Amino acid sequence: MSAEGEGISGHRRVRLYLFAAMLVSGVTLAGIVGCGGVSGREAGDGGRPQGGTLTVLAASSLIDAFGVLANRFEEQNPGVKVRQSFESSSTLLAQIQQGAPADVFASAAEEEMNTAVEDGLVKGEPEVFVKNREIVMVPKNNPANIRRFEDVAKPDVKLVLAGKDVPAADYALQILGEAKGEYGAGFEKEVLSNVVSRESDVRASVNRVVVGDADATFGYASDYTPDIRDKVKVVQIPPDFNIVATYPIAALKDAKSPGLAKKWVEMVTSEEGQRVLQKWNFESAA
Amino acid sequence: MKGHAKDDPSTRLARGSDTLASGLAVAFLALLAGFISLPLISLVVWTVDKGAWRAMASPVAVDALLLSVKTTAMTMAILLLAGTPAAYVLARVDFRGSRVINTLIDIPVVLPPSAAGIALLLSFGRLGLVGQYLNVFGITLSFTTAAVVIAEIFVAAPFYVRQAATGFGAVDRAVEEAAMVDGAGHWRRFFRVTVPLALPALVAGALTAWARALGEFGATIIFAGSFRGVTQTIPLAILAEFQRDLDAAVALSVLVLGFAFAVILAVRYLTARSTGDRA
Repeated sequence: MSAEGEGISGHRRVRLYLFAAMLVSGVTLAGIVGCGGVSGREAGDGGRPQGGTLTVLAASSLIDAFGVLANRFEEQNPGVKVRQSFESSSTLLAQIQQGAPADVFASAAEEEMNTAVEDGLVKGEPEVFVKNREIVMVPKNNPANIRRFEDVAKPDVKLVLAGKDVPAADYALQILGEAKGEYGAGFEKEVLSNVVSRESDVRASVNRVVVGDADATFGYASDYTPDIRDKVKVVQIPPDFNIVATYPIAALKDAKSPGLAKKWVEMVTSEEGQRVLQKWNFESAA
Repeated sequence: MKGHAKDDPSTRLARGSDTLASGLAVAFLALLAGFISLPLISLVVWTVDKGAWRAMASPVAVDALLLSVKTTAMTMAILLLAGTPAAYVLARVDFRGSRVINTLIDIPVVLPPSAAGIALLLSFGRLGLVGQYLNVFGITLSFTTAAVVIAEIFVAAPFYVRQAATGFGAVDRAVEEAAMVDGAGHWRRFFRVTVPLALPALVAGALTAWARALGEFGATIIFAGSFRGVTQTIPLAILAEFQRDLDAAVALSVLVLGFAFAVILAVRYLTARSTGDRA
């Protein structure tokens, strides 16, 4: 703010600043070039059977199971690195449409995958690899006293949902639509008036219950992971109108490592892959 | 040797490297200007190209803009009321622990906003350190507009308080004391002498803080959640729209860009005027 000491060897100071600025720019440039170089190398390695990087974009509900599978994949394919990004399927679709470099897309809903197929982003046919059931989760101390599914319609329940077009939330809305027959026409409206936040993905909405700020949320059975079982209770949705999500997976057309992408899909659909997924409450697609 | 310095080849070399250095500096400046304007131009080009203007009038955009205006206004009102005296004390009173306080105030600036959001959640959330007691009295902050304001104050306060303190620090004590001698009371002296003299710094600080509050994203989405009209400010609406309709996300970005641009212009204008006044 102050402009003191202007006269004191101003010229020298300017040169010092200039030097510092150039140093910073140089380091930054080197950094950018360095990063670019890494991705370039990945691209080159993709064709070879050994080494290379596999980039998997997967629905956030898959984060734990795919984490385990990634470790196995790296063990079985020495030198290969698996990079994964977990977001809502709708966010991932938007990223792929915008040209995000990726090899495999695993979606939590057919809709996003179908759009990807229609846009010509997918290589070959997508495969359904698991199913997932919706559940309601409440904090262990259950402040809103939700014992049965219809209790989510009670007044002043703080209900959190994932954002619009996030599959987990879309399924929740479908379920509410179906449940009207059972609980009356006003049921859906009452539940929706309890929504206090739309989170960016299903894991974020589950975490609202984990930290105890929300009274309830809709999530997948697979979101009821071992590490939250001491903080969260499950309220089952009656099977009459529950929706079972089907998860499709596909290699992407612009894959930098098409060989690895194929291998990953094979692993996920293999017996071994299915066993891991079942451990995280997914149901086998077969 | 020294007498012939003018003809010394090393001096000529130094002069040459000076030209080179300034040439490089200009090139870097051009590079920086291009780097910053390119994404902004891309936003506008996309908006024009795809006719994304219409999305600016969508209910989501209107609600988000109104909420952003409302929450940032509340943030600024609280910041000006509480931050101004705080900044004055920080600038003028040398108390024990003032250096610690000085460092503490700057922490939200370097703390990633998402970390701030987690921290706020653990303090003011329903089971938080303070939140659990508020909850006993029936006060819950999570998922309310108040939570948005709290998040904005947390991240924006340092920008105002820091600049305001610097402004107060630059006010000549002799002028203040002269006002005292002339019979002005403490309040009168503060509002009639100190504040006007520090005004350029106060305004600049307020505008920076406002811009920061307007852009607040990480702390808000983690602490306050995202719900249309209640906690979904423009930055949160951009993410929500990005997940379903890119055009709408672009339109919102242009909207907030226009707003930010206006703020920068205002700061420039005020700074130029205040330096003009002093000269």
